[in-house]
Amino acid sequence: MDTLKPEIARLFDAKEARRHKLAALPFPEKVRAVVRLQEMAAPVLRARGRIVRVWNLDDRVA
Amino acid sequence: MKYTLQVLNELERDGVLDRYAIGGAMGATFYVEPLLTFDLDVFVVLSQTGGGLLSLAPLYEALRTRGYAEEGECVLIEGVPVQFLPAYNALLEEALREARDTSYEETPTRVVRAEHLIAICLQTGRDKDRERVRIFREQAELDLSYLADVLQRHGLEGKWKQWTP
Repeated sequence: MDTLKPEIARLFDAKEARRHKLAALPFPEKVRAVVRLQEMAAPVLRARGRIVRVWNLDDRVA
Repeated sequence: MKYTLQVLNELERDGVLDRYAIGGAMGATFYVEPLLTFDLDVFVVLSQTGGGLLSLAPLYEALRTRGYAEEGECVLIEGVPVQFLPAYNALLEEALREARDTSYEETPTRVVRAEHLIAICLQTGRDKDRERVRIFREQAELDLSYLADVLQRHGLEGKWKQWTP
């Protein structure tokens, strides 16, 4: 099997470290990150015909 | 989301449901990196109806009277689509019983333990569940002895070995 070049291996290690850092965030910050992911993904999914709703975290609705 | 959780707490306090806990991708997000989801999966132990049947109908009715409408498989509660999943087997009942108490922006809530979320993934068995188990193993702090007990109790050791070579 081919071995990774050191600079690529370093990139993968950095990605891994970032994931662990994200996993350690407080829950409310993670929820806000999920909403940002929703905002990014929603236009793509809607263009494919999927009905999705980005969460409203802050305002009381009913 | 805190208003959503406040509504769930009210439903529990009013006896519409006996107990709830956050599961699914948002439950997983409690332990690992943020995972994309558009639904808040909530496992519930429903209050027993007269005939002994477990039905989501009284829960949906209670939500309608509070002004929250159904949207496909979910109910839109304070801007968040919530999918209610009744505890339909022994694993889910245990997961709900042993869910951990926490709080979200000072609102008390409950999240299914990571070890139970893994067991539920193994039991459900889809590709995305397998991927989630991989993420849990990589990022979550797991109590491996507790996990081993859960897997043994619910006959999931074989699947665990198959998925974690």
